[in-house]
Amino acid sequence: MNDQSIPERLIFHDAIEVMEVDFSYMTFDTEAQVDEFYDEVDRRCTSTNRRWYFLVIYTGCIISPEVWDRFAARGKLANINYGLGTVRVGATALIRDVIRQRAQAQMFRANIFESRDQAMLALGEMRKRREVLGAGVTEAYLRVDDIHLTFGGVKALTGVGFQLSRGEISSIIGPNGAGKSSMLNVISGFYRPGRGKIFFEGKDRTHLPAHEVARLGFARTFQNIALFKGMTTIDNIMTGRSWKIKGSFLTDALYWGYARREEIRQREHVENIIDFLEIEAIRKVPVGRLPYGLQKRVELARALAMEPRVLLLDEPMAGMNLEEKEDMARFILDVNEEWGTTIVLIEHDMSVVMDISSHVVVLDHGVKIAEGTPAEVRADPVVLRAYLGQG
Amino acid sequence: MIYREAGQFKTTYPEDQQIFPIRQDRYAMAAILAVAFCVIPLVASDYWFTAILIPFLILSLAALGLNILTGYTGQLSLGTAGFMAVGAFAAFNFVLRVPGMPVLLAFFLAGLTAALVGLAFGLPSLRIKGFYLAVATLAAQFFIEWVLIKFGWFSNYNSSGVISAQKIVILGYEFTTPRSKYLLTLCIVALLALAAKNMVRSETGRSWMAVRDMDIAAEVIGIRIFRVKLLAFAVSSFYCGVAGALWAFAYLGSVEPAAFTLERSFQILFMIIIGGVGSILGSFLGAAFIVLLPILLNVGAHYIPWVARDLLSNLELIIFGALIIFFLAVEPHGLARLWQIGKEKLRLWPFPH
Amino acid sequence: MTFFFEVLIGGLLAGVMYSLVALGFVLIYKASGVFNFAQGAMVFFAALTFVSIVERGLNFWLAFAVTLAVMIALGFAIERLMLRPLVNQPQITLFMATIGLAYFIEGLAQGLWGAQVHAIELPIKDVPFTVAGVNVSQFDLFISGTAGVLVIALAAFFNYTRIGRALRAVADDHQAALSIGIPLERIWAIVWAVAGFVALVAGLLWGSRTGVQFALTFTALKALPVLILGGFESIAGAIVGGLIIGASEKLAEVYIGSSIGLNIGTGIENWFPYALAMVFLLIRPEGLFGERRIERV
Repeated sequence: MNDQSIPERLIFHDAIEVMEVDFSYMTFDTEAQVDEFYDEVDRRCTSTNRRWYFLVIYTGCIISPEVWDRFAARGKLANINYGLGTVRVGATALIRDVIRQRAQAQMFRANIFESRDQAMLALGEMRKRREVLGAGVTEAYLRVDDIHLTFGGVKALTGVGFQLSRGEISSIIGPNGAGKSSMLNVISGFYRPGRGKIFFEGKDRTHLPAHEVARLGFARTFQNIALFKGMTTIDNIMTGRSWKIKGSFLTDALYWGYARREEIRQREHVENIIDFLEIEAIRKVPVGRLPYGLQKRVELARALAMEPRVLLLDEPMAGMNLEEKEDMARFILDVNEEWGTTIVLIEHDMSVVMDISSHVVVLDHGVKIAEGTPAEVRADPVVLRAYLGQG
Repeated sequence: MIYREAGQFKTTYPEDQQIFPIRQDRYAMAAILAVAFCVIPLVASDYWFTAILIPFLILSLAALGLNILTGYTGQLSLGTAGFMAVGAFAAFNFVLRVPGMPVLLAFFLAGLTAALVGLAFGLPSLRIKGFYLAVATLAAQFFIEWVLIKFGWFSNYNSSGVISAQKIVILGYEFTTPRSKYLLTLCIVALLALAAKNMVRSETGRSWMAVRDMDIAAEVIGIRIFRVKLLAFAVSSFYCGVAGALWAFAYLGSVEPAAFTLERSFQILFMIIIGGVGSILGSFLGAAFIVLLPILLNVGAHYIPWVARDLLSNLELIIFGALIIFFLAVEPHGLARLWQIGKEKLRLWPFPH
Repeated sequence: MTFFFEVLIGGLLAGVMYSLVALGFVLIYKASGVFNFAQGAMVFFAALTFVSIVERGLNFWLAFAVTLAVMIALGFAIERLMLRPLVNQPQITLFMATIGLAYFIEGLAQGLWGAQVHAIELPIKDVPFTVAGVNVSQFDLFISGTAGVLVIALAAFFNYTRIGRALRAVADDHQAALSIGIPLERIWAIVWAVAGFVALVAGLLWGSRTGVQFALTFTALKALPVLILGGFESIAGAIVGGLIIGASEKLAEVYIGSSIGLNIGTGIENWFPYALAMVFLLIRPEGLFGERRIERV
């Protein structure tokens, strides 16, 4: 029933930059109806001369399958022209599925919530993210597209794709064997995907070998700590500066002069990181002798020494107690805030994931089953089913 | 009480990064150098020079080379003697065929030649690792032996089989006495050892060790593993080449392939296992051990006359074999580590902990 | 053409000898995962012990039994004193330890029995007879026959007996084998004892061919290319690899040398097998019959 007039359905909340688009209990049968609605949206938005976050309410809305394409196209256009981000409330199962499919195919966030409160929460997270990033939010910093990875007969990843914005903290979660580490290995350049592409800063980086990926600004840690057991803490962290140290073996052999100055310069940088991660006391200890938690911290230090633009952390908090986890979480957040490093983490601890990430990708059996903000993913029934088993 | 660090604070990074951060170590090193350069030339007999000191120094140099490749970079090599042979023959040919070639330059070029050969045999390291690479180095050893014997050009078509190495003449001064040869060898080895220590404690050494410890992690940091391995092969072979040249010119006096067989490769491998893999000091300790042991056994046999003569040389084999197994099982970092542990205990002495 | 066949057959028969030694390596590698560089020394030790016992008056079969007992004891001792302390070390470390072991056994053998060369008299004469115009030695045929019997026996042992199955389980995964109750140490001792037996047979055959001398220890070096070609874990690979190496070695020696015209023929056989092995390593690292290993990060 289209009893309310269209202008009454477009409510602007100035203070929070939100435009409410109320589709509730409307029926869209013809393209003319769709166009009528969106033309009004255009008129109102242009007159405000600003951009808005969209809060779309679908309760009881009925959209005929024939007009879906038109509906989606107009909506997308509106978003590009005036939208900063969209959250959706009250969609019926049918609408939800359609939106999700399109979201997956066209790489936008579905952002569908049960209640208005949840939607507003997500909106707040979106705004926070945008504050960190500044303009150009919608441009993908790291984009992974339709990745397929097979070992022998085992399909590790099937058609996985997602994208990250600069400065985000993103988590990849999923049950064991879901393919999370494999995904990280593909991004790192260890595994060559059978199909699919990786784009970094808009350029195709799929076929780069691991050491080139590292030099591009990717650093990572490993599930089972990959420190150099024959060296001390400080030497391990210094290896992180390898790709930045200039000079050759000849200048090293002569040492006094060029090599010495480089060593000192790099040492200063490394000492900053040691200070940041509070590991001064164990500088000269061979890492093989350190307890597990400290080894993880040293590995993080080594990754940071590379001055990475993207930090890939594979279960950085595995095997830690609560206190150590809080320390590590604090470090990760500090890294993100202070240096603006984009972070991708694989984690099992849900509370950590919810607390520190702004974006979550859920994998199961090598397939992406959900993507979005933590709030949305937590509420997603598909995700819950994957973790808890069939209904 | 004596070996205390108390009061020795490092306030700058350069101080912290010295080769010998502890003052007592610096004094000890200075003393050792003083003895080596000043005292020994005055008191040692010719026998000591020719039978003990010179071979010790040269083999230490070769052990240094092998340590760089196997100890620091983790690439097991069984072709050490082959690269030494390249150095020896190259030096001989440079002096022979290039008129007016200074001997020191010939040694340097010999090292370079060996480095190139080492580089060539290091190429397989792109595809093969570990044990299989060791097999490739074995191939190097056999191939080099065969080439040097088969192609008479290398030995100047000498039919007698004994090629005398030329005299060492530097700036008009002839190095013919054992003492002069000792001093020359000492200078060369000391300089190269210093260079090795410098390389090993800076980025070059760190990337070598990273490749050894976990090459996957090294890749992830941005280290170009292949280049690092090739560099190790080249530098290591350079050292072995110079050692080979010295062996021919300063020790044997002749250039013969028989001095550079597979046994020699094993001998040097044993030196670094016993002395300590991945340790500059260990190369010297291992060489000293292997040079001195047969002499000690010989001397000891005089006091135990009932030991059969031929049992002695076999005793050497038995002891070496047993020691290798012992060190690999008990203390893989060899004598150098034992030395380190000793120093740590000395820091506490006379307190128990 | 007859000459070609003679060289070829000579090479194949030499290859059978290599296979014999390679078998010992495969056995130990299959069960302990270590390339036993000391296998050559064990061949030498076995042959020398046997010959010395025979020269002191015992008859052939008694000497064989005694030597076999000694080799088995040696196997147990090696397991106890060398393998157990080194149990979790990487392959490279174990390999270096076997180099030390080789030196040890060589010193022991010569220390005990002296360093002269001995001859072994086997009842088969080294008399040639002609088959289709090609000369073949009766002795060579005997060796091939023995090797063939050994291979079949070992293959049967591995595939059809309980101990053989246990050995294969151990080779696959030590931890898993332990967890189903296989006594690891006893298995390793058994394997080294069997390897000792193979070493004894090989030592007898080689020794009667070339005399029992120190050079016997270098058979280890010949076995390496054989195993790279055939795969370290395959008995069939040891045979096929041995044949290929033996044949190609002799053919290269004769034909490559003369074709280049430089009279450099002799000695090629020292490094040619290695060159062949290297080419294989670059193309098919696991050998003809070996198993592919995928490295997981």
